[in-house]
Amino acid sequence: MKARRPSAFLCATALVAAGALPAAADDIVIGFAVAQSGFMQAYDEPATQAALIRIDEINAEGGLLGRQLRPVFADTSSDRAEGARAGLEVIEAGADLVVVSCDYDFGAPAALMAESNGKISFFLCAESVRAGIQGVGPHSFSASVLAPVQGATMVEWGHEVMGWNTYYVLLDTWTEYNRGICEGFDYKAPLIEGVEVVGRDTFVNDDASIAAQITRIRNLAEPPDAIMLCSMMPGVVSAIRQIRNAGIEVPILNGSGVDGSYWMDAVPGLSEFYIPVQGSIYGDDPDPAVEEFNQRFAERFGVRPSSQYAYPGYVMIDVWAKAVERAGSTDAAAVVAELEKMEGEPTLFGPRTFTSELHHQNQARYHIVKVDNGTPGVIDSWTISEPIPLDALVR
Amino acid sequence: MTRAPSVLAKTFTTPLLLIALLAAIAVLFFLFGSGAQQRFVVEMLIRVVLVVGIWIFVGNSGIISFGHVGFMCLAAYATAWLTIPPMLKQISLRGLPDFLLTNQFPFWPSAFAAALLPAIFALIIGPILMRLAGIAASIATFAMLAVINTVYSNWSSVTGGTSSIVGIPTHTTLWVALGFSAGAIVIAWLYAISRSGLALRAARDEPIAAQASGVNIERERLIAFVLSAFVCGAAGVLYAHFLGIITPDAFFLTATFVALSMLVVGGMYSLSGAVIGVVVISTIIQILRWLERGVPLGDVTVALPNGSQQIAIGAVMIMILLFRPAGLMGNRELRLSFRRGPQPAPDREVRGKPE
Repeated sequence: MKARRPSAFLCATALVAAGALPAAADDIVIGFAVAQSGFMQAYDEPATQAALIRIDEINAEGGLLGRQLRPVFADTSSDRAEGARAGLEVIEAGADLVVVSCDYDFGAPAALMAESNGKISFFLCAESVRAGIQGVGPHSFSASVLAPVQGATMVEWGHEVMGWNTYYVLLDTWTEYNRGICEGFDYKAPLIEGVEVVGRDTFVNDDASIAAQITRIRNLAEPPDAIMLCSMMPGVVSAIRQIRNAGIEVPILNGSGVDGSYWMDAVPGLSEFYIPVQGSIYGDDPDPAVEEFNQRFAERFGVRPSSQYAYPGYVMIDVWAKAVERAGSTDAAAVVAELEKMEGEPTLFGPRTFTSELHHQNQARYHIVKVDNGTPGVIDSWTISEPIPLDALVR
Repeated sequence: MTRAPSVLAKTFTTPLLLIALLAAIAVLFFLFGSGAQQRFVVEMLIRVVLVVGIWIFVGNSGIISFGHVGFMCLAAYATAWLTIPPMLKQISLRGLPDFLLTNQFPFWPSAFAAALLPAIFALIIGPILMRLAGIAASIATFAMLAVINTVYSNWSSVTGGTSSIVGIPTHTTLWVALGFSAGAIVIAWLYAISRSGLALRAARDEPIAAQASGVNIERERLIAFVLSAFVCGAAGVLYAHFLGIITPDAFFLTATFVALSMLVVGGMYSLSGAVIGVVVISTIIQILRWLERGVPLGDVTVALPNGSQQIAIGAVMIMILLFRPAGLMGNRELRLSFRRGPQPAPDREVRGKPE
């Protein structure tokens, strides 16, 4: 009995060894080592779907270098160790591009795996500077825009267009993303003449009450022109609600993390709330091609994109495919070199630039969405006047 | 078998069998598995080191510890501080002392030093914790885990806070992991058959009688605690050099409960139980993950709903507790023959409910 036990385990483990992927020799393989289960799925899925739309478009136009693009998938189960394994799995399936989870912490294991195998990795929508050369290595990129650009965009636009001069900064210290937005604000604000920070405070996303912080805002001699809120789901909703319930009606600014109308029922009649977005999901994007994309997305997957975070997936395949086309091969070094030559490369969601120092956007065109009486809509577009320098990004 | 086996053979059959079992799995996957599948085995071997480390304390003292994953955390960060290239450390870990900031140490000495850190930590706090017994001790170890996690999540200049530290060189190959788990099993076994191990088990089963016979319970517990902190630390070192990236929340509740469920399912009071629990639960987790992803049957893909994995692990634990309260192995160890010779170590006469 006891002596036989080991063999039973071997049988069971051998069962696991059964799922290998077939490979057609001529296809260009794009490996998605993303979460198909677990909590990260909610972030990874829309961007992955947007990427699939671009892949289909390229295939319909005859493919890339005359070869078809073929996506393969490996689930990270929202787990870091599984993430590294998923990365290796898609590389073994022949992936030339490894697409990894939206979040830096959860995407990095697979990206590091790609890096050590000399493959290009792309974070679906990570907004930390470390999702790239600084945190993974020279073959790693992010498809989204750095969080600090969002904070910088809001203060520059607020001053130049709306004439807001005094700001109260309220930082939710929960994540790097939140800190990033406020860091961008703090970099930009002193550079703009006339802008003054009249107070600052912190809270944590799951704080039940921010009454103390609100009291300090109300005790200011003059109410600020705007509140720069650096927070994200789910705590941001409660924070906004408490601010408004306290009778503070000044404009509130935040990053892209709260894009989408799904949460607005929780703050009835919300007005004077502003965020930057890469493209509009509300059907009013200045570029009709974006709305066309939204409709195609809805046709194929049954729902419209729920936030702007679907868009980076499309941009990612777009810029990578262009680089492959120009390099004339899928060789990692050649494609990275072509990507690094991109300066203001036009995409459906604004121009994109990569350099040999930064594989991320430190300047980008944003549409400004204003929520008025519970209805969000694009009111303006803004690109910060100067890119945020690298030493302000890497602390 | 007609001839009684030699004392040496009797004494070392169990660890050799366990190491052979793990080696067989490793070789099988090395020969026939893809790289991704080999990583599954490496992950399993890291868990073997962790669970065997926990067993050294829990199995011999009878005190369930929720804190040992904290030791893993201490060692993982220590090895990160020692082995990350200075250039990266100067960006993300500025608060480190100068000799760490400007130097990069090789893997083996770093691994040893890093595993030593939790052992020293255990030696300092152990005398306080070891005075407690039963559930009070368990709660104290849980508090220790919470303290470690909170400090490492917030001491940003040294640990990078809640965000990941990257740049840890990856040295954990299949064979390194196998070597570590063999080492862990040997250490655990040598401790179990040592004078201290025997005294501690005596104190576990009959504290008053043990004390009356001159066993200093606190001292023996402390020895086991420090040794198990060292072995759990080694698991942390392996983990850090396996993924190349660490965060404090990788060493918190989820990891603790998975490790403890492996120990409970295998059998808390048996070293073979600790090892086999890891193999069984790792395999179940892997099969369920595979089923969650969907298995093609003809034209349809059958998939379990997401989250089945957690439910199934819970169900397995309940079944084990119902039908085999002492775990798969009970209090027995893997041996070659069924002859009921005198058992060298962990005693089998604990028939009552384990505390």
